[in-house]
Amino acid sequence: MERILTAQAGHDDQRTLAAARSRGAYEGLRRALDLTPQEVITAVTESGLRGRGGAGFPTGRKWAFIRPQPGQAVYLLCNADESEPGTFKDHYLLERDPHLVLEGVCIAAYAIGAHTAYIYLRGEYASLGRILESALAEARAAGLIGATLLDSSVALQIRMQLGAGAYICGEETGLIQSLEGRRGYPRVRPPFPAVHGFVNQPTVVNNVETLANLPWIMTHGTDAFARIGTEKSTGTKLISVCGAVNRPGVYEVEMGYPLSEFLDHEAGGILEGRALKAVIPGGTSVPVLTAQETEGVTIDFESMQHAGTMLGSGGMIVFDETASMPHALATMADFYAHESCGECTPCREGTGWMAWIIARLLAGQGRPDDLERLLRIGNNIEGRTICGLGDAAVQPVRSIITKFRPEFEALLPAVIDSRPDWQRHEHGPRTARHGDPAREATLSEPVTGPPTARL
Amino acid sequence: MPLVTIDEQPLEVEPGTLIIQAADRLGIEVPRFCYHPDLRPEGNCRMCLVEVKGYPRLAVACATPVVDGMIVSTPHTSALAQGAVRGVLEFLLVNHPLDCPICDQAGECSLQDFYMHPHYGLHSSEVDPSEKVRKRKAIDLGPRVVLDSERCVMCSRCVRFSAEVSGASELQFVQRGNHVELKAFEDRALADPYAGNLVDICPVGALTSKDFRFKCRVWHLEHTDSICAGCSTGCNLRIDHYRGEIQRLVPRRNPAVNRSWLCDEGRLSYRALSAAPRLTQPRVRHDGTHDDVDWEEALAAADQGLHAARTVGRPTAVAALASTSATNEALLLFKRYVASTFVAPLLDCRFGQEDRWVEEREDALLRRRDKHPNTRGAMLLDLAETPDGGLRQMLARAREGAIDAALLLYYPPLVRQEDPATLEALAALLHAVPFSVVLTTHEGAWCRGASVVLPVAAWSEEVGTYTNYAGVVQRVGQALAPPGAARSAVQVLGDLLARAGRARASTAPGALFAELVATVPTYAGLAYESLVSRAADVYPPEGRMAYGQEGFAGH
Repeated sequence: MERILTAQAGHDDQRTLAAARSRGAYEGLRRALDLTPQEVITAVTESGLRGRGGAGFPTGRKWAFIRPQPGQAVYLLCNADESEPGTFKDHYLLERDPHLVLEGVCIAAYAIGAHTAYIYLRGEYASLGRILESALAEARAAGLIGATLLDSSVALQIRMQLGAGAYICGEETGLIQSLEGRRGYPRVRPPFPAVHGFVNQPTVVNNVETLANLPWIMTHGTDAFARIGTEKSTGTKLISVCGAVNRPGVYEVEMGYPLSEFLDHEAGGILEGRALKAVIPGGTSVPVLTAQETEGVTIDFESMQHAGTMLGSGGMIVFDETASMPHALATMADFYAHESCGECTPCREGTGWMAWIIARLLAGQGRPDDLERLLRIGNNIEGRTICGLGDAAVQPVRSIITKFRPEFEALLPAVIDSRPDWQRHEHGPRTARHGDPAREATLSEPVTGPPTARL
Repeated sequence: MPLVTIDEQPLEVEPGTLIIQAADRLGIEVPRFCYHPDLRPEGNCRMCLVEVKGYPRLAVACATPVVDGMIVSTPHTSALAQGAVRGVLEFLLVNHPLDCPICDQAGECSLQDFYMHPHYGLHSSEVDPSEKVRKRKAIDLGPRVVLDSERCVMCSRCVRFSAEVSGASELQFVQRGNHVELKAFEDRALADPYAGNLVDICPVGALTSKDFRFKCRVWHLEHTDSICAGCSTGCNLRIDHYRGEIQRLVPRRNPAVNRSWLCDEGRLSYRALSAAPRLTQPRVRHDGTHDDVDWEEALAAADQGLHAARTVGRPTAVAALASTSATNEALLLFKRYVASTFVAPLLDCRFGQEDRWVEEREDALLRRRDKHPNTRGAMLLDLAETPDGGLRQMLARAREGAIDAALLLYYPPLVRQEDPATLEALAALLHAVPFSVVLTTHEGAWCRGASVVLPVAAWSEEVGTYTNYAGVVQRVGQALAPPGAARSAVQVLGDLLARAGRARASTAPGALFAELVATVPTYAGLAYESLVSRAADVYPPEGRMAYGQEGFAGH
C-alpha cells in the first residue's frame, strides 16, 4: 500500500529540515506554487480529500466557501488540538514529521489566500510545541516561510499557539474564540467561520492529518490520490488503536481496509487471545460497535455510517470480553461532563446529570428507571446544543446502554428502594462527583473483569 | 421584504430581523432567558428552540435571521419544539436550588413563570436535592448587587451588558460544565455606575438588588410609569410603590431615549425625596419666625405681598425664578402668572448653568451634566432668554435694592447634592428682598428668610410632562399623594392666578398641555394622550405570562 502520511515518519532524523528535504519535503509546495490558488482548490476537490478531524467534510469545498470582501484578511487555522478520547494520530505526525504538516499548512494557506496561519496545539502536547517551534524556526531560517513562500512572491507567517487543555477548543469555533484570547465557548452558526471566523475574518480550520495529505496530492496528482481508497473515501486514514489489543499504536491504512483484518494484523489481535467484545472506531464521540457488528465493516466513511457509527477521528478503542461496559461508559460520561464548556443549557446540565446517574448505577444505587432516564436525557441533549459536544456525549451513552443493556440491568439493586426521592440518598453517594476521590475509589473496583478491562 | 410565517401568521419584516423579533411583533410569546433586545444575541439558553420547515434540526429563534418564505412553528404549534423546550427547562432545573420561598426574584422570575406553564414546565422532579451541584450564595458584589450563583442560569445577559453596554467588563464565567459560575474578578465590588441594570436583566434570582431585596414582595407592588428626574436625559422608568412608599425604580424600554437602561443614580434618586423632612403645611413669617397656616391664609398673604410689588409699577421690581425640575405645565402657569401680573419682571429658570449643560454628556451611555429633567422644556418656554440671567443676576439686582419681591419655585436635585453656592445665593436673595414667596418641597435652611413658604408636590407626586435634552416630550406619572397639605405646583399657581384676577386656568394636565402646544411652536401636533410609551417599546413585553393559565395572558 502506498503510504501517504507516514512514508518518511519512520526516519529518526525526519524532524530536521535537511533530512526532510532530502526525502522530498516541500516539493509538494513547489508544485502547488506553480498552480494558481484556484487550481489547487480544484485539485484538492477532485482528489476527494475529506476532513480527517471527525466530520469528514470535503476539504476542497470548505476552501471554496472563502470569499473575502475587499480589505479582509483570510486566516488558516491548523487544528492540532487533538483531544478526542482514544485519538493520538496527529501526535504521531507532529512528533515524527513536523515538516509534512508545515508543508500542508503552506499549501492550504496558498490555496485560500491566507498570509497568516496558526497552528493551535493542544495544551497537553506542550512537548510537541518544542518540536514544532524548532521546525518552524528552521523553515523560517531557510526562507521557506515568512516574507516569501519558497521563492514565490507570496508571504506566509505561521505561528504556533498552545492551548490550555480544554477539549472544547478542538471544536472549530471554540478554537477560534480561544485563539482570540477569549473563553473557549463555541459560537452559534451561522455565521460560519468561512464568513466570520478568527477576528471576524474569513477563516478555514483544518485538521493536522487533513493538511498532511496535501503535499502528496500535489506531488503525485489528484488522480493518484483518488485511486487510493474507496469511491467516496479516497486516500488513506491514520488509525490510532488502543485498548485490548496486542499492538496498540498508530497505523496508516487505505480507506476501505477491513476492520477485522486491521484488528488481527496491524493491531496484533485481541489481548491474551481473548474474544472481541466491542469497538469504538472513531473516538468516544461515535457509537460503539459490538463484535458482531464489526463483521464486514471496512475503515471508511460510508461503511462506518452504514454500520451505524462514524469513522470519526480514527481513534479506535477496543474492548475484549472481560471489559465492563458500564465502567467504560462511566469514564466516557465523566469526560464529557468535565469537558462540557457550560455555555449552552442541554450539554452543561445534561452531561453532568448523565455522569451522575451512571456513577450511582456503579455504586449499586441505581433506580429502576435510570436506564430509561439516561436515554431520555440523551434525546433531550442531541440536536439542541450550540456545538457538537452535546451530540458527541450522547453517542456512547445511548449506544452502550442499548447494546449492552444486561450489564447495566445487573447493576440495579435487587431490592427496590420504595422510599420517596428526597429520602433515598441520605446515605448515598452524595459527594461523588467526577474527579472526586470517593468516586475514583469506586472506579478502581470493577464489578466484573480484571483491571485491564478498564480504559 | 422577507415574508415569514410563524404559527400560521404571516408577517413581512426588514432583512436581518430575527425570528424571535418577528414573533414578538406578532404577539407570539417565545420563551427565552438569554435573548434581550438591547444585547447581542448569543443563543446559549436554548429556550427559544423553534421548528423551521426544511431545517435539519431545531433553530434558536433568537439568533436565526428570517429569510424569505421561512415557515416557523413555535412550541405553541409544534410538538417537537415544545418537547425540546420542556427538556431544556428541565435541564435548567436539575441543579437549581429549591429556594423560591426565600428568593427575592419570586413573582417576577422567568424560570418560575416557565415552570408554571403547562407547555414547558410542571415536570415531576427526578433529582434529589442532595444530588444538586452546590455553588456559592449571597456573594457581595459591591453596593448595588448581590450574587447567588446557584440560581444563575448562565444566560450571560449580565456578562454581555457589562462588556457591550456599560463597558465595565467586570463579570465572566469560570469553571466548566455544570460547575460554571458567574464571577467578578476576585469577587471585587462592581464599580459600574450602571450595575443596577444587571439586576433588571437577570431573568432569575441570581443577581438581586441590595437596595430592593427583601423590602417588598413584588406582587404587592403597584406600578406607575414615569420619567426619571435625575438629569436631562429623561430615561423612561416605572415607579414601583407599596402603601404610599416608593420601593424601587426600574427602567422602561424606550429605544429612542434610554433603550432598556437606567443609571444607578437615577435608580436610587427616589431616596433623595425622603433625605430631608418634607414641608407639609404652608408657612407665613411673622416677626422673624415661620408659622404654620392654612392655604387660604398663605395664599392671601402671598397675593397681598406680591400685589404691593405689583402696584409699585417699577419695571424689573419682581424677580421670578422657576426650577427646570418643574413640569412644563407648572412652568407654563408660572410664566403666565409672572408675565401677566408684573411689569417687565426678571423671569428666568437658571439657578446655575442648566442651559449650557443640558446636552453635555457625563459618560457614553446615559448620564448628562444637567441634573434637571426639564431644562429643554423651560428653554422652549423662553425662560432662559436673557444672557447672564438667572439667580446670580437677580441676587446682584436685589443687593442694589432694585428688587421689591421674589417668587421662587425650587426643587432640590434628586441626584447629587445641590451646589452650596446656589443655596447660599438663594438664602441671600431672600434676605435682600422685602417680600418673597417660595414654592418648594423640602425643609431647608435657605428658605428661612422667605415671607411665605408654600409646600408643593415633589417628583412622583404630580402628573405633567418633561422635555428632555433632545426635545422629546414625555409624560410624568403620579404614584403617590403629596404629603400633608402639600399641593401640586400647578394647583398653587392656578390659585395665585385666580387671586390676581386672571381667569382661573384649568389645571387639568391634558388641558394645560394643549395650551403648551399652542404656546411652543416645536410642540405643534403633539397630543397629551399619545405621549404615553407604546406597549411595544416596553420590555419585557406587556402581558407577562400568568400562572397556571393555558397559554400566555393576552395571547
